[in-house]
Amino acid sequence: MSEPILRIENVSKRYGRKDVLKGASLDVNRGDLKILIGPSGAGKSTLLQCINFLVRPDEGRIWLEGKEVHYHHKRDLYAYRQKVGMIFQDFNLFDHLNALENVRIGMVKVKGMARAEANERAVMELERVGLKEHMQKYPAQLSGGQKQRVSIARALAMDPKVMLLDEPTSALDPELIGEVLSVIRDLGNNGMTMIMATHQIGFASSLSSEIVFMEDGQIIERGTPEKIFFDAQNARTREFCSKITDLYGEKRG
Amino acid sequence: MFLGPSVFEGVPAEFRERIFRGDRMPEGLTAIADALPYLLQGSAVTLVVVAGAMALGLFLGVPLAAGQVYGPPALRRIIGVYVWFFRGIPLLVFLFLFYFGLCTALDINLSAFTVAIIVLGLISSAYQSQIFRGAILSLPEGQLKAARALGMSDLKAIAFIILPQALRLSIPGWSNEYSIILKDSAVTYALGVAEIMARAHFVATRTYQQLPLYLTAGIIFLVLTWIGTKSLRALEERVRIPGYSPHGM
Repeated sequence: MSEPILRIENVSKRYGRKDVLKGASLDVNRGDLKILIGPSGAGKSTLLQCINFLVRPDEGRIWLEGKEVHYHHKRDLYAYRQKVGMIFQDFNLFDHLNALENVRIGMVKVKGMARAEANERAVMELERVGLKEHMQKYPAQLSGGQKQRVSIARALAMDPKVMLLDEPTSALDPELIGEVLSVIRDLGNNGMTMIMATHQIGFASSLSSEIVFMEDGQIIERGTPEKIFFDAQNARTREFCSKITDLYGEKRG
Repeated sequence: MFLGPSVFEGVPAEFRERIFRGDRMPEGLTAIADALPYLLQGSAVTLVVVAGAMALGLFLGVPLAAGQVYGPPALRRIIGVYVWFFRGIPLLVFLFLFYFGLCTALDINLSAFTVAIIVLGLISSAYQSQIFRGAILSLPEGQLKAARALGMSDLKAIAFIILPQALRLSIPGWSNEYSIILKDSAVTYALGVAEIMARAHFVATRTYQQLPLYLTAGIIFLVLTWIGTKSLRALEERVRIPGYSPHGM
């Protein structure tokens, strides 16, 4: 068995006296799609943001491809973040840049790539998410689904080893969710390693390698979609799963 | 050259002769017409002082704002004191303190013109820093997060992501600052800077045509305010992000 591409050990975060994350550990293998589920406030988003240190964990260690991330060293931190793509719930496209520039800026300003080369790659990534004809548009001129697809292209352009997706479809109108999920599905089929927080359990059960149920800052239970959705050991897991199944329909996607 | 320290240098020869010969002085519209070229040269001085002060204020104000938002606590406090200091002392006190006080005490030889730009610029940097700070704080937190997530250092994120947006949002506040500095620049007449007010005063006291001359000075200021704010409004439109209209305008 090969070593995990990403190893998260005992990550904790406190805000004041509130423990929002209590020692979460996770091993992610190459090509895995881990799905984080759980009620809001469970710590899913905090965990994802701790993984690329947008939120500084109070405790815990993280290894990428067997190398520990020394996040107190800025150079290490910046190099690591380039390898970990992040997709946000509310897209966070750079509002003053058009779609093409959004995808290009990381390559030019962070990787120091030549403009022409970066441009070519940006066009390619936008084509991959089906937005080549919209590349001159600014975020304010794009729909939510298009914005999220641009943000995926922006992350992909950095050649990430792992992608973190923090409820990528939660801010979308229902009819726009499909186009984003289909892009994520393609990524998964092409072997991208991903950790995704979502309530789309139809999608989760059809694609994920493991479902991780979180509550109250802790990982309560984990297992295959079948196990978590049909045969959960923990009462809270069963209760939560039955609730979101009622809300989001079909278990099997 | 009309940027020089003496108000008298730029007085048209004919006009100067008339003053010294004690001829009958021009009145009303004639007085305005006679003095107008001289006053308009003064408005060039005013504009250079204002442009210099705005530029200095911008140059200092941007890092001050970024430091006050993103800097470590000690730096934020220092910037807070700086802002308090330069916003808290009247312009005239500063001008005298700097020109007659500091320059004399330290034996620095600066023209009144230079001192005017420095003092107005320093004061403006305090006000401008707060314009930019407000603009930075109005941006969604996610902009910085997304930049960091790409591997950008905070400095790069500020330079390439935060400031281009914050500066756009600062233009209305900046337009306000322009009209304030423009009017404040009249105070530098107290140092003998040959700007509009100094020239109007110079001619008015010698020709006894106070009403027409001060009125002309006032109108020149009004026109300059109008041109400046109109230009900044045009700039605001020009750099507007397509489709981005926070208030549905």
